[in-house]
Amino acid sequence: MTNKLGIIARVVGVAAFSVRLFAHHGAASFDTSKTVTVTGTVTEYVWSNPHVFVKVDVKADSRDTAHWVLEAWNPVTQAGRGWTKNTFKPGDAVSLDINPAKNGALVGEIRGRIVINDKEFKQLQ
Amino acid sequence: MSKRLVVSIAAVMAAGMFSPLLRAQDEKWNNIPPRRSAYDGKKSSAPAPRRDMTGIWDAAQALGTSGASEHPALLPGGRGSEGGREDETGIAKPLPYTPAGLEALKKNKPSGPGVRQVDSALTNDPAGKCDPLGFPYMFLWELRTLNVVQTPRQVMMLSPFYGNYRVIWTDGRQPPKDPDPRYNGYSVGKWVDDYTFVVETTGMLPKTWLDHAGRPHSDQLVVEETYHRVDRDTMDLTMKITDPKMYAEPWLALNQLPLHLQPADFDIPELLCSPSEFAEYNKQVGSVVLRDSSKK
Repeated sequence: MTNKLGIIARVVGVAAFSVRLFAHHGAASFDTSKTVTVTGTVTEYVWSNPHVFVKVDVKADSRDTAHWVLEAWNPVTQAGRGWTKNTFKPGDAVSLDINPAKNGALVGEIRGRIVINDKEFKQLQ
Repeated sequence: MSKRLVVSIAAVMAAGMFSPLLRAQDEKWNNIPPRRSAYDGKKSSAPAPRRDMTGIWDAAQALGTSGASEHPALLPGGRGSEGGREDETGIAKPLPYTPAGLEALKKNKPSGPGVRQVDSALTNDPAGKCDPLGFPYMFLWELRTLNVVQTPRQVMMLSPFYGNYRVIWTDGRQPPKDPDPRYNGYSVGKWVDDYTFVVETTGMLPKTWLDHAGRPHSDQLVVEETYHRVDRDTMDLTMKITDPKMYAEPWLALNQLPLHLQPADFDIPELLCSPSEFAEYNKQVGSVVLRDSSKK
């Protein structure tokens, strides 16, 4: 199922992802019962506290582009998962599973499968 | 050297270069401690040295964000992390709040997962402004890796998480009687036997929080920590909270939390709170995902 923003959305079991161990915030603002796959092009990768985040443009058609901001956790936790400052770079074609914001904003938490330039990135933890 | 052997060596080298796990193990910087499961079933190590807690100690990601681990701000079964409540009614292990304690609790709006969680942009958590966490908040949120340095007069605990450090005097002095408040308070420690170190801390700033669930404290707070060196590689930590203004009786925030000794050359990664980075995060994410935009 592909909608006009080029996003494949599916609802999956969330038991494995629903317990948050570390973060400055919990999951109140995000819908942890839903996983959405955002497929697009990286425009910026910010390696900072309190959360690392990746900006992804998703082209719907020749006129419309959706600008997503997708957060991970802090740099140390991400390093433990195998991320580095070089994991993403502008121009990368990515497909990221996320929990979307409850309010419908184009913001999400990266939780699950990560594909970068057609290669799956396997996290360590 | 056979062609097959050359190919095998090249494959191993390539795996090493591109495997994050191997890379992390090879490098001397920004070491990531093992997960808690790495210690499961491990046999006890050599005996502990006497009256010595020097070393790099890691809590193996044992603490979460929902409050002091003995009293998580969650309902039975870990439910309720979506927040939205004013108080902690119904949590699995309730705290003995006094009326003043309950009133103070309600004023603190935590963003960490728990029954009282609010949206990140609406929290008044000192951590949300990169204010100093103070003690014991620094130990009751993300207690990660501690560098413990022992001198004849002091035990120093250095934590790159939020740039926290503590000085515990061991020169026999008594706690101050009526101190000016400090974020980290005033800590004195003594060995009660060869393997047990007890620390008493008083004089903490009342505006700081006890933990990431927004538990309050007053100027009457006394924190007693007991570090017990189980063997060379393990030390457990118990923390007792006494604050008669806020809590009708003392309670344990940590109960024999295991800390694991890391290799002597373990380099703890930095995790600091930068106000400008935090502001950028709130601009890009925190304020954008508010569920009720009228509260912006």
